[in-house]
Amino acid sequence: MILQIEAKKCKRTGFLPAVLLAACAASAFPILNMLVRAETFTAMAGTPFDILTDANWQMMAMLNMVLVICGACLMYHTEFADNGIQKMDVLPVRAGSLFFGKFVLLVLALCGMLLLETAVLTGCAAHWFPAYTWTFSETLQSAGFQLILTLPTVMLMLWVASACKNMWVSLGIGVILVFVMTILPQDSTVLQLFPFNTPYKTLATVQGAGDVPLFLGICGAETVAFGLFEFVFLQIRRWYA
Amino acid sequence: MNMIETQNLCKAYGDFTAVSDLNLHIQKGRVYGFLGPNGAGKSTTMKMFLGLTNPTSGSFQIDGKHYPADRVAILKEVGSFIEAPAFYGNLSGEENLEIIRRILGLPKSSVREALELVGLTQFRKRAAKKYSLGMKQRLGLAGALIGRPPILILDEPTNGLDPVGIHEIRTLIRSLPKQYDCTVLVSSHLLSEVELMADDIGILNHGRLLFEGTANDLKIRARDEGYPTDNLEEIFLAMIDEDNRKRGAGQ
Repeated sequence: MILQIEAKKCKRTGFLPAVLLAACAASAFPILNMLVRAETFTAMAGTPFDILTDANWQMMAMLNMVLVICGACLMYHTEFADNGIQKMDVLPVRAGSLFFGKFVLLVLALCGMLLLETAVLTGCAAHWFPAYTWTFSETLQSAGFQLILTLPTVMLMLWVASACKNMWVSLGIGVILVFVMTILPQDSTVLQLFPFNTPYKTLATVQGAGDVPLFLGICGAETVAFGLFEFVFLQIRRWYA
Repeated sequence: MNMIETQNLCKAYGDFTAVSDLNLHIQKGRVYGFLGPNGAGKSTTMKMFLGLTNPTSGSFQIDGKHYPADRVAILKEVGSFIEAPAFYGNLSGEENLEIIRRILGLPKSSVREALELVGLTQFRKRAAKKYSLGMKQRLGLAGALIGRPPILILDEPTNGLDPVGIHEIRTLIRSLPKQYDCTVLVSSHLLSEVELMADDIGILNHGRLLFEGTANDLKIRARDEGYPTDNLEEIFLAMIDEDNRKRGAGQ
């Protein structure tokens, strides 16, 4: 029920067009890249899917994060603009259930985007590398891995958006976090495990380093920790309201 | 039987005490007018009843249910309107009420009923952000009245309405206990308004309850304490002045 309500609240907010636009832009990127530089990539050694992922994922992940930032800001702007959140607070719903409803909605949107993006990468690999035989499980594994690595970013961004009544503040924080993470040294494993940094990692590179369980475990733990943090934050806010 | 009861309820923000040792007794099936100047602590008290802010100390029960243990059960029984209308501007009036209906698990007809009750049926499809101030106020009231809750907490519900709208809402509030057997707590800083709506009156100043009882009790007390008794407005002003003077002397 909460999910239905949260979906209804997104009507006429621009959330759905934002998801579609980000999905189209991210999916178009590998196609354009291959149209322009196909010879460069087809001459490379390695698995076609991994070659294409390595070549395109930085930009695609950034577009995914832009969607997460914009989506979280839009959702909470709708709550704060006409004080709708206060009405929700005086209705018999458990504290935090609205937040988790928004989280699930944003994750579902992200799921759709990631599936489309990995399908496009697979399609490009099949088209430009005739010897490549794609498997459904490879596409799914890659999409699933990217989704889990993006979950802490979604949770943290939703917390930021829920804490700031002014949408421009949360939008600014999100954009700053994206750029700060890109300029941090990439050779430190600890820094690579931060939200806003993990979505850039691809399954192939993490598998190569043998860090798949580490990334999955830490991202899972970060997601749960930020969720609990939101719950505590809501209790504290009630004391000082 | 008291529908809402508080015991030494306090709310402090740092050094500032917004509500101090409040002991309210709101009887079932009556309209209780909560009166006080701006900043007296009326909204803070109502916010505590709705769980929007936690009390610093003291306790309260609503329909025998204790806060915070029974917060969700309390909210199931209370329809509320606090400070300003709260809604989703991107949704129509009908869609706003539909969200509340789903959360409360009410029948679909309750949305139509609530819209009719506040006279918004004609504008139900219009986006709420395009409503006039009075229409937004009515939408807020519809959100409180939907499903005919047994307890209504209304914070200055006639703010922003024109004289005709004020009269309509006042008549509606006055009729609610008889029509739906509900208890109403309504706040205002205008005694003339409370006088026309309420069965019982509570006067709050600087977070302290100065008086609780019927309008008649207030007149008797005013006479006993030597305040002017010509009309309730003067009694109220004299009471507040006297309290402010005592506080000034105390400090």
